[in-house]
Amino acid sequence: MGGIVLIDTRKEAQIVVERLDPLFTAQWHCRYRIDVVYNQFGHGFNFFLDIRRKNHRERSIPLHTVRSTDLEILENVIDQVKQQTDLTLNFVDFGKVRWPRSQRWIR
Amino acid sequence: MDYSREPHGLYFMIDNKSFYASVESIERGLNPLKSCLIVMSEADNTGTGLVLAASPTAKRLFGISNVSRQYEVPRDPRILVVPPRMNLYIQKNLAINKIFRQYVADSDLFPYSIDESILDMTKSWRLFGKTPEEVARRIQLRVRRELGLYTTVGIGENPVQAKLALDLQAKHDHDLIGRLTYEDFGEHIWPMTNLEKVWSIGHRTAAHLQRLGIHSMGDLAHVNPYELRHEMGLIGTQLFALSWGIDRTELGNVRPPKEKSWSNSQVLPRDYKRQSEIELVLREIGQQVTSRMRHHHQQAGCVSLFVGFAWDGEADDGRGGLHHTHRIDPTDNAHDIIAELIRLFRQYWEGQPVRNIGVGLSRLSASQNLQLDLFQNPERQIKNNQFDRVIDELRDRFGKTAVIPASSLLRGGTMLRRSALVGGHNGGNSFD
Repeated sequence: MGGIVLIDTRKEAQIVVERLDPLFTAQWHCRYRIDVVYNQFGHGFNFFLDIRRKNHRERSIPLHTVRSTDLEILENVIDQVKQQTDLTLNFVDFGKVRWPRSQRWIR
Repeated sequence: MDYSREPHGLYFMIDNKSFYASVESIERGLNPLKSCLIVMSEADNTGTGLVLAASPTAKRLFGISNVSRQYEVPRDPRILVVPPRMNLYIQKNLAINKIFRQYVADSDLFPYSIDESILDMTKSWRLFGKTPEEVARRIQLRVRRELGLYTTVGIGENPVQAKLALDLQAKHDHDLIGRLTYEDFGEHIWPMTNLEKVWSIGHRTAAHLQRLGIHSMGDLAHVNPYELRHEMGLIGTQLFALSWGIDRTELGNVRPPKEKSWSNSQVLPRDYKRQSEIELVLREIGQQVTSRMRHHHQQAGCVSLFVGFAWDGEADDGRGGLHHTHRIDPTDNAHDIIAELIRLFRQYWEGQPVRNIGVGLSRLSASQNLQLDLFQNPERQIKNNQFDRVIDELRDRFGKTAVIPASSLLRGGTMLRRSALVGGHNGGNSFD
């Protein structure tokens, strides 16, 4: 890459939701969660679907990577993802910071 | 032993600790040494699943090793299972080698595998520290800081010492650094009795050595090398050199193999019993190998066919499979090569269920202009030849699945599903 890369947040959210769709099968006794990881080494935000079922191994399936470290972009993507799914979002490695727009704590 | 005339360089062999598992841990914000994570491939032909990598903690707590099967892994909620992303690992490997290039000249860096590289530090190590260990530490910290990965470093005066220092010492060392020299080689290596642990000694070689009464590296170092050579051939001499830590390889001086060949093989997702299905895959592989060869502007004068039988087929006549080779007039035409493969298959196959198919092309020569056959319609021959080239061009421009034979859509075809794999495993999501 290199130079300025424009990120279409609508499209990014769409990719996350589209990949999530076939994986989220809503089984009984199963906890689904979306992990959003700030990856300081990869310079981006990673999305995973985490599935934990009673007496089974935990599974974590990659959904997408947003290639930016700009929290404002992430906030937009997250807002749009939230409109299309009610799954819990779990933020990893963000430290104690607030969302730039809503000024709420990231958690 | 007089080592004065042996090459005295300084080599680092660096590998990544549980590479795939570590990359996946970092992507999830987990510490690679503490997470309990396994990378499991669920490609069609891995059965119920195959463990490609396990993090050090998963190995320790549950005894999971690489290439464990899915059913061997306990159903424990503490274990995190993730699918492989081969493309991501390739990217990380490139990033690591880019860091290494800041410590050695490009011509002194030799990537050895997806997670191992050899660095010839002979000329450059003094620029980065007072001792080789200090330089190794520096590189480790740099990789850890920039990519989050832990690396293991073996240091030696030649490549084989570096490799043994890595495998036998560094992996158990607190700092993940090991070092061997000509001087202390015997002291560290000769007491080893588990010969299979030593690089280049496999199960069968170890058994052969045991039969000769060689039970440790020290025994190996003290046999008569001429007798060993007489008993084992050239390998005997090589093993003897290994036991003394001698390696005269000049890595920059790569010898091309005498006879190159092209081949592809695959394990089928289930036992194939119907002739039409087996031949379909055979055509697909034939097509693929021929196309690879054409990209190098070569033609083949020899085709070989390998067919591995499924286990229950083996019981019938005690053979594990068949392997046949046949000379042909040099050609790069897929149609002719496939016809030859099918002919070989029909001639030797006796209805056994098949699990493994491979195709090889050898006796290569540069493909020049089309040599027309006097006894066939010349226009047809020219057309066939052009047809292959157009297909190649289409695939180069628009991807491997831009044009496929309709037959690949039939039951049993593996080409479409395999085209998305990297090294036989899931490459990861696109657009990432």
